[in-house]
Amino acid sequence: MRPSFFHHLHPPTIPARQSRLRYTLGAGGYSVFLSLVLVVSGALLMFYYIPTPEQAGPSIQMITFLVPFGGLIRNLHYWAAQLLVVVAGIHLLRVIFTGAYTAPRRFNYLLGLILFVLSLFLDFTGYVLRWDEGVRWALVAGTNLVQSIPRIGPGLYRLVMGGTQPSPATLTRFYAWHIFGLVVIMLIVGAWHIFRVRRDGGIAVPPPDQRHAPERISRFELVRREGLATLIGITVLLLVAAFIPAPLAAPMSDVTAQTADARAPWFFLWVQQLLKVGDAFWMGVFIPLAVIIILGCLPYLLPAIPSTELGRWFPRGGRLAQIIVAVLVVAILGLTILAALPTGT
Amino acid sequence: MKQRIVAASVLLVLAMLVVVWQVNRLPRPVVITPTLTGQEEYCLSCHADLPEISASHPIESFGCVLCHGGERLALEADLAHSTMRGGRNPSDLAVAELSCGGSECHTGSPELHRDHVARVQTSLQATYAGAITSIRYTYGAQADLTAQKAISAVQALHPPEGASDSRPRALDAFNPAKETHPFVQAFGENCLTCHLQAEPLPGAAYNRLTGCAACHTPSTGRDPEQPLHQLTTVIPYTQCNACHNRGNYDLRQMNFVPRSDSSSDRMHDYYQPIAQFTRCEFELDCVDCHTRQEAMGNGYLYNNQAEQQYVQCKTCHGTLDAAPLTRTIQDETDIALRLAYLNPDIPLQVGDTIVVTEQDEPLWNLRQLPDGSFEMITKVTQVRYPVPLVMGSGCTQNPEQQESNYCHACHAVQR
Repeated sequence: MRPSFFHHLHPPTIPARQSRLRYTLGAGGYSVFLSLVLVVSGALLMFYYIPTPEQAGPSIQMITFLVPFGGLIRNLHYWAAQLLVVVAGIHLLRVIFTGAYTAPRRFNYLLGLILFVLSLFLDFTGYVLRWDEGVRWALVAGTNLVQSIPRIGPGLYRLVMGGTQPSPATLTRFYAWHIFGLVVIMLIVGAWHIFRVRRDGGIAVPPPDQRHAPERISRFELVRREGLATLIGITVLLLVAAFIPAPLAAPMSDVTAQTADARAPWFFLWVQQLLKVGDAFWMGVFIPLAVIIILGCLPYLLPAIPSTELGRWFPRGGRLAQIIVAVLVVAILGLTILAALPTGT
Repeated sequence: MKQRIVAASVLLVLAMLVVVWQVNRLPRPVVITPTLTGQEEYCLSCHADLPEISASHPIESFGCVLCHGGERLALEADLAHSTMRGGRNPSDLAVAELSCGGSECHTGSPELHRDHVARVQTSLQATYAGAITSIRYTYGAQADLTAQKAISAVQALHPPEGASDSRPRALDAFNPAKETHPFVQAFGENCLTCHLQAEPLPGAAYNRLTGCAACHTPSTGRDPEQPLHQLTTVIPYTQCNACHNRGNYDLRQMNFVPRSDSSSDRMHDYYQPIAQFTRCEFELDCVDCHTRQEAMGNGYLYNNQAEQQYVQCKTCHGTLDAAPLTRTIQDETDIALRLAYLNPDIPLQVGDTIVVTEQDEPLWNLRQLPDGSFEMITKVTQVRYPVPLVMGSGCTQNPEQQESNYCHACHAVQR
């Protein structure tokens, strides 16, 4: 059989041990799948969504309740976006806990980290596009964090918001970033990331006993596995989207009004919880930035993992990195749970 | 692998069927575009069973959102209802200006009598100034019976005229917590149940909404959980009885004691046991004689009900030497025709002569017939009553004594 276009996107063969689900968790592949779902469903939403403060809310209601299958498409977009953050996070943890972030893959690890941060920004900008009462706190509080940065804060805030306070220009900026700016960067970095996977010799080095003349699978088998995973992914996503609607509230009436009800999107709940205990800059900007920088520095500052330990979960040489990341994950999950608990308990 | 792909494909197809089934289960929008807003609304998708609220508010012109607010494009109940004005009752005085007001609606020009929303805030039914004043005066919180407090702070639309005019210019909000006498405090806590902003007492006999709908949506005797989607100017006496004639204040306990008798007929439904009254007072409805300005105010603030209510026996029956005041309708713009238009059961046309009050308000259901006699058609029940005149009747009244208690001396009905 001559390879098709899709087969040609893959290497002719890859080591079988590298493509085992229990090693990859399928997280990188599912990230690509979810990104494709987001592009397609997002493009469909663009036909109906009107990015003005007066029309944003009503146009989303129209998509949700009038447009045939519009609610389903919106729910697909929403759930694919939430799952992308989860799946990309799992992918990041897999790379760290299998030691795959070390040279020669450490530059691609950085690209992946950038993609993860981009997906958070895309999620947040998309969340704000609802322009309803449910997002006001996050919009006002989240962007005020930008303002808290010393020296460059106010200037950066005007750049992000299109003015000195939330305004119609803000919605235009978020819309442009969401559907164009961030997506273009995501496409470029994403293509680079996938290219580097092949250039670096696959997703990870196989275990030592498999490095010479390993058992291999063909690109045909690989595409079949991807096809199977895609079928399962679409099935799950469709069912979730059909039965669990994406959140929607009454359109924002006054964007500058104060709201006592602090509600960050779930992936920033941990930051919301941090903000309760301290200064906006240190808690809301410095610590999240520090987490990203710590993650980015892992392959550069920590000693390399001996080659003999690579190719399996939790290599001994990566202990310190594993502990650092585990502590970060537990802290972030703990703060998220604290923030999600009803107040007073 | 092929088997797995086939199995997954079958699962996907099944999932798609489930998805289509689920999507089709969701309500389909029923879209209307009211001419007054030009904006699509999906409210009728769920509320198709509601009757049109009144002939003056046709659904194709008004839709739902113009009055009720709410999310016009939402088909999910919580979201759709989240921004409704006044919950189920957009005519509550807190929001009536937004719902019922507007220069094209009921906040129009005073000359055309279209300033109802502003006027009603000055009426005693909204201020409750008479009762508050009386209680505060009784317990020494104020030195005279000039009103100082109202349910909410309010400014008169028209200032008092001259130094001898005792009508207030403005009233402060009555705050029981700031009163010193415990009985005044108790009055504030126990007795403020029948002004236009107050939620009614429990019980079907007291059932009414608040604001405009307290009177214009006749609800007494109905289940409070099943409010009526109706606005009318044909207000039966039973609706007035939701507040009036429903019991007494006990000034020793300072609480409200609902009437304990259960009336079996209209005569006994109407009045307190000791009160005197005449036939017209229990056979007619309140709105047959009492006017819009009496009920909804005229822009002046009043100290008590006796000041605001001015229709007397003589308004319809005249005096010893005068027939009631009348006006012949000259053209289509006469307010009387506009009012009669809302009640198609009462024919009225240009050229008809109707009785008017001393303040020139039309009693448009009380006409002078070609033979010179007077006839009333009741607004709610459409019964025709000949209206006897005092003039030429052999009545021996003192012309100075026009209050009803003097007329009751001879004309009261015996129970």
